[in-house]
Amino acid sequence: MTRPTHLARHRQAAVVGIHALPFSRNIGTTERHGGALAILGALADAGLSVRDVDGMFRYVWESTTEMEMARILGVPNLKMFGEIDYGGGAGAPTVGLAALAIESGLADVVVVWRSRNRSSGGRPWASQLQATGQDQFERPYGLVRPVDGMALHARYWIHKYGWTPEVTGRVAVTQRQHAQRNPAAMMRKPLSMDDYLGSRMIADPLRLFDCCLETDGAMAMVLTSAERARDLDVVPVHVTGFAMGSGPQMTAMTFYYGEELGRTPNRWVAPELWRNTGLAPRDIDVVQLYDAFTPQIPLAFEEYGFCGEGEAPAYMAEGRNPPYNTSGGGLSEAYVHGFNLLVEGVRQVRGSSTSQVENVRHCLVTSGNVVPTGAIVFSKEPW
Amino acid sequence: MTQGADDRSRAFPVPVPDADTQPFWDGCRGGELRIQRCASCGTWLWQPRPVCSSCQTPGPVWTAVSGDGFVASWTVMRPPTLPAFADRVPYVLLLVELDVGVRLIGYLVDGDGRWLRSDGAAEGVEIGRRVALRFHDQAGTPLPCWTLV
Ligand SMILES: [Zn+2]
Repeated sequence: MTRPTHLARHRQAAVVGIHALPFSRNIGTTERHGGALAILGALADAGLSVRDVDGMFRYVWESTTEMEMARILGVPNLKMFGEIDYGGGAGAPTVGLAALAIESGLADVVVVWRSRNRSSGGRPWASQLQATGQDQFERPYGLVRPVDGMALHARYWIHKYGWTPEVTGRVAVTQRQHAQRNPAAMMRKPLSMDDYLGSRMIADPLRLFDCCLETDGAMAMVLTSAERARDLDVVPVHVTGFAMGSGPQMTAMTFYYGEELGRTPNRWVAPELWRNTGLAPRDIDVVQLYDAFTPQIPLAFEEYGFCGEGEAPAYMAEGRNPPYNTSGGGLSEAYVHGFNLLVEGVRQVRGSSTSQVENVRHCLVTSGNVVPTGAIVFSKEPW
Repeated sequence: MTQGADDRSRAFPVPVPDADTQPFWDGCRGGELRIQRCASCGTWLWQPRPVCSSCQTPGPVWTAVSGDGFVASWTVMRPPTLPAFADRVPYVLLLVELDVGVRLIGYLVDGDGRWLRSDGAAEGVEIGRRVALRFHDQAGTPLPCWTLV
């Protein structure tokens, strides 16, 4: 492995524990409760205890602060902690910050988690009638659902690149096939292209099966140094690098006020990620691409450089892409702000996915695409 | 119609201006669409802000524009949506690019600024279509909207 030389990183981080509670429509516990159980499960998976934990990072949208979680669990002292904003953009950056805390030597065992009762807890957009800040120019028009903003992006991508409905339909069908092999996935019924094409419009041009699930889920991940990982009874999953990006004129949950319509912050994340990791798309064996909505997949293959701009439909139709979203992803396994993609990325490198790709050396995981976001590469071998 | 909680739950979301955005909404009340423009470098700026993002000059100037532009993108709003819109769907939501180069959200309305229940098919809504500004009164709030020309 080539260790990137332009960054001062004196030791590598590795994921040593993962855990997910069963996904459901009604988990029957608080987000605090689910999060605590997920963290304990991930620590047990790593063979570590609460007493070892000295760092915690979370999404801003996580309802339990890291202080409350540390207090509940009995963590003796947090030396590094913090949170990342912007919904589904926070996934890879949250794990990336945990890795950075370890790489810097400021923490040794860091926990990240996401617990969200998005199904039983209702729709967060449904009750906010006072439109402040940037919302005052959108919410009065009823533009409140994430799908509406994505539809405005998707319409433009379809127009610009000439996508047929089958381009996004293939994503829905492929991910459902993965979910059918995953006993933990919420949606395992067969899904055909005809089912997809016949599904009702939610926000044109996005159909029902373009949209992710609404899930109650709780998951956690534990990271430590690659050196310490060697003393644990686990298959360490090394963090080769990560990157974050906003692009210019970002408005938090949409990118259509940006200077060039059609781009997303991934355009800025991708080159930084490849620079930070010393890798290129050809080195990546399997990917977990953020998938709140199907159009994000072809666009991500282009923006991360797996194929050229406008080439994704042919690239994917010919099967030249690496396998993606092998757990079923947000569309068919569960939607927990992309955290399940991170957990599946770890499984692929461990060799324990239900849709295991052979000889995985590197797995790319990306987070939300029209939000400030990031991406991370998990690897079998250390630097 | 009964009064009370049921009515409130069906209320439209309302813009809550602050000092940086008040001139925009004041303009709407006077039937004028105002966009900020930097007096120093001429850059048109959206959304409202206290400093020019191109040259960092404070205090961009609120400037009336025609509102002429084209459809940069669009969607059709369908259930489930906020209760206030439940009996108004489907309707077309536009991302309009003004001729001065900034993009705003608005409804597709008819030539008189009235509500249009539509999925856009009959009107032939498509990216690139020219649009003209209309103000649509939504429970006392004049919202910038657009009609096809
Ligand atoms: Zn300026």
